[in-house]
Amino acid sequence: MMFDLEKEIRKWKKSLQKHEVFENGFIADIELHLRDSYSAQKQAGLTEEDAFRQAVAQVGTAESIAAEYNKNRLVMLNRHSPLRPGRFMPALVWNYIKTALRTIRRHKGYSLINVSGLAIGLTVCMLIVLWVADEWSFDRFNTNARQIYRVYRNESATQKNSTTVLTPPPMAAALKSDFPEIIKATRFGYWHRQLVTYKDKSFNEPGFRYADPDFIDMFSFPLIKGNPKTVLSNPYSVILTEKTATKYFAEEDPLGKILTVNNSFNVTVTGVIHNESLNSSLEFDLLSPFVIILKESIGEGNADNWGFNSFGTYVMLEQSASADNLNQKLAGYLKKYSDTDTDELVLQPLTDIHLFSNLGHDLRNRGDIKYVWIFSALAVFVLLIACVNFMNLTTARSANRAKEVGLRKVVGAERSQLIRQFFGESILIALLALVIALIFLELLLPLFNTLSGKQLASGWWNNPILLLGFIGLALVTGILSGSYPALFLSAFQPIRILKSTERSSGANPLFRKILVIFQFTLSVFLIIGTLIISRQLSYMRNIDLGFSKEHIIYLSIHGELHDKYGSIRERFLQNPDVIRITASMTLPTNIQGSPGTPMWEGRPSDAKMEIKADFVDYDYIETFEIPLVEGRSFSRQYSADPETAFIVNEEAVRRMGLEKPVVGKRFGFWNIDGQIIGVMKDAHFQNLHHKIEPLVFKMFPGWLRRMYVKIRSANVPSTLASLEKTWEEMNLGYPFEYRFLDEDFHNLYKSEARLGKIFQSFAALAVFIACLGLFGLASFIAEQRTKEIGIRKVLGSSTARIVALLNREFLYCIAAANLIAWPIAYFATHEWLQKFPYRTNIKIWVFLLSAALGLAVALLTVSLQTLRAARANPVDSLRHE
Amino acid sequence: MAASTRPIILAILSRGEDYGYSIIQKVKDISGGHLKWTDGMLYPVLQRMEMDDLITSKWKLSGEGRPRHYYTITEKGRKELASELVSWRNVWQALVRLAKPIPAED
Repeated sequence: MMFDLEKEIRKWKKSLQKHEVFENGFIADIELHLRDSYSAQKQAGLTEEDAFRQAVAQVGTAESIAAEYNKNRLVMLNRHSPLRPGRFMPALVWNYIKTALRTIRRHKGYSLINVSGLAIGLTVCMLIVLWVADEWSFDRFNTNARQIYRVYRNESATQKNSTTVLTPPPMAAALKSDFPEIIKATRFGYWHRQLVTYKDKSFNEPGFRYADPDFIDMFSFPLIKGNPKTVLSNPYSVILTEKTATKYFAEEDPLGKILTVNNSFNVTVTGVIHNESLNSSLEFDLLSPFVIILKESIGEGNADNWGFNSFGTYVMLEQSASADNLNQKLAGYLKKYSDTDTDELVLQPLTDIHLFSNLGHDLRNRGDIKYVWIFSALAVFVLLIACVNFMNLTTARSANRAKEVGLRKVVGAERSQLIRQFFGESILIALLALVIALIFLELLLPLFNTLSGKQLASGWWNNPILLLGFIGLALVTGILSGSYPALFLSAFQPIRILKSTERSSGANPLFRKILVIFQFTLSVFLIIGTLIISRQLSYMRNIDLGFSKEHIIYLSIHGELHDKYGSIRERFLQNPDVIRITASMTLPTNIQGSPGTPMWEGRPSDAKMEIKADFVDYDYIETFEIPLVEGRSFSRQYSADPETAFIVNEEAVRRMGLEKPVVGKRFGFWNIDGQIIGVMKDAHFQNLHHKIEPLVFKMFPGWLRRMYVKIRSANVPSTLASLEKTWEEMNLGYPFEYRFLDEDFHNLYKSEARLGKIFQSFAALAVFIACLGLFGLASFIAEQRTKEIGIRKVLGSSTARIVALLNREFLYCIAAANLIAWPIAYFATHEWLQKFPYRTNIKIWVFLLSAALGLAVALLTVSLQTLRAARANPVDSLRHE
Repeated sequence: MAASTRPIILAILSRGEDYGYSIIQKVKDISGGHLKWTDGMLYPVLQRMEMDDLITSKWKLSGEGRPRHYYTITEKGRKELASELVSWRNVWQALVRLAKPIPAED
């Protein structure tokens, strides 16, 4: 038999192949070696057969070689594979993007829901971010903001929990000279409206304020015109804001122009300040040196009057000084200047005034940190709802992506790569939503500004921080909403998917239900919140105040008008449509406290009582129809009334512990010893954030600043016209400016009403987004069950029963959401209502209505889809797929 | 395998790329016929050295038309060889100093 080399080699190779460590490459190596060796042996003179045997012997036994290879394999297993793909494969990026875009394109409806839901969520978030940032920015434009403090009085020595920001005129200068760490100090004051005249233009200015020259150095209002060093140094100078300057002078240069105040003295314009775009708790339209108040209004004698608590005081500390230290040093400070003054002074950071302050006589138009928190929470809620939509729809439709995942895994993708791919997709969608959201933002901002009464401008295109913040927001949204889908999709087992042994019906249905429940819990919570808020607001607006405010106009009587009040009153009363006329110092919608405790008959020496007070004219009780429970009103028939008569309310009587009859009891206040002539029923002379407190009315003709005219309800416009005519005829030198009292009353709740409206709109959007998701989910489920529906119909099921079948699942979810939302909403709204002393009660129907609303909206959404599916022709549905 | 095999292979490859059969012949020549291992055992060693990045390999067609697996020393391999040489020299010197000459075999 001839020796067949190839056959022998094949046999030899087979013996090697028994050992599985020999991979084909290794065998090829050794085979070549064998052939080389064989050739060499043959050349040495051996026969073919002997040469082959020799060569095989030299190569060695398969076992020994295999053992060596096996060692290598073990080493290799303990190491990372050299074939391991990189963490990120740039070559696949384009594929990822293509896949993402393809998915978006193939499922336009779902993508639309995903993207628009996220876009609306992001828009709401961005609006709220802008709003919160705006609230937060108050006073922070001042470069010295951290060093500036407002000084307020803590009156708890005489009255419980009472504070006031009103301080006396000499305090600022005294503080500055007594404490070296105070480097600057200013008073900031208001003294009634001022009639300001330039040529033929004349306005009653409510925004006339007074400050000391340090004001300009302390605060950073940019001076557009004028010399900052001297702008307030001349006592009769005035700084105008840009808006005011335009109002008086239009295009003319305002510097050096002379304005007449109250037809009695002149001030020269020395500067124009910009404050339009600045968020400042200190508001003003015109600013003059404080000494004008002393010279022209309250008399220079009051410059040293430590009892004249009517103005704000602001101080600026050295950079290194600590406010805490100074607060300690301020203990008992007021005693130094006024032995009977037991109040304590406290420093309040300027930046706390807008959001964190709730002091007596505080500045107007302040914000409230509570609303900042509520709105921030709302923003998070809305975004969460949008994210849940995304999660739900993506996982529900995951069956469509399963094959892709399986294939990617088979060709070597690792789970981490797939997770990154899906995160990438959700971030891509979030960024797409961001682009749309930025467009929405620009479109909605004017509307939001009207709603919020702010002048927000997004300006993200030239505000890199804001833009980065928005992008960050979108990234967080993308990661949040992509988290579950990414983990879920990447966990698919390729073998199962590709074999199709298991029909993937999307994510775990339980988890999907939990997400729907979560969304609707938030939605129901927001609906309840909205209802409670609007109920509380309407409760406050419609509560019986205890006095009449209808058909009463009021006019400011300051300056010369004050002296002419008597004659105006007489002339107006001749008008048959005028019912009554009276006057007072402050508006009955906001009667403030007065420092000190009054004296009364039988008062224990240590008794303290905070009391609100107003100075009024005859007919006050009658004009406002305040019911008297005892005694009488101020009357012209008693000559002593203007001097010694007091009228108090029931609450005051209760607190003083006076026994009936109260009338005739001695009572004293402001060093006036008198007696009580009447007791009026308790009424709300402050907004409803305040409890009814002791109140006293005293006649004081010198302090009347507002005149009230009660007119007949018929022919209001003609009455007003004829009053104006009378006014003009009297040639008073002041414009006829009036306002309706009830209008003013509504303004008390303007900020609440605004916030309520914003809350309502955003809550509605949140519910809308949740419904959008539900719509998508319902249509997905209807689509999945197309065949089932077809069969059921063929077998005789009615449309209604099919709709009911499909809706049932959602109904359970909504019911569960209500059960969870109710207690949370109850506690949250209960807590919120606690800050109102007069509050609506939480009624069960609010919850039922919310549940019904939630249910109705959800059912409507779901039924839109299920009805379509149920009504489809079974022939078509059975041909489905 | 003997600890000496790897430095010997590295030393051979440091003179230029080579293929398996040729390397083994050279190893046999150098070791003066004292190599106790069969030829096939060298291939796992080469694989292991490749795993350790000391050498790389590629297939080439030889002049005789036969494909050959050529091995090339890497930079890491050269460093390894240098340090191996140093330590071998140290061992050798130590042995020379300590030991009496071993009588050569006849």
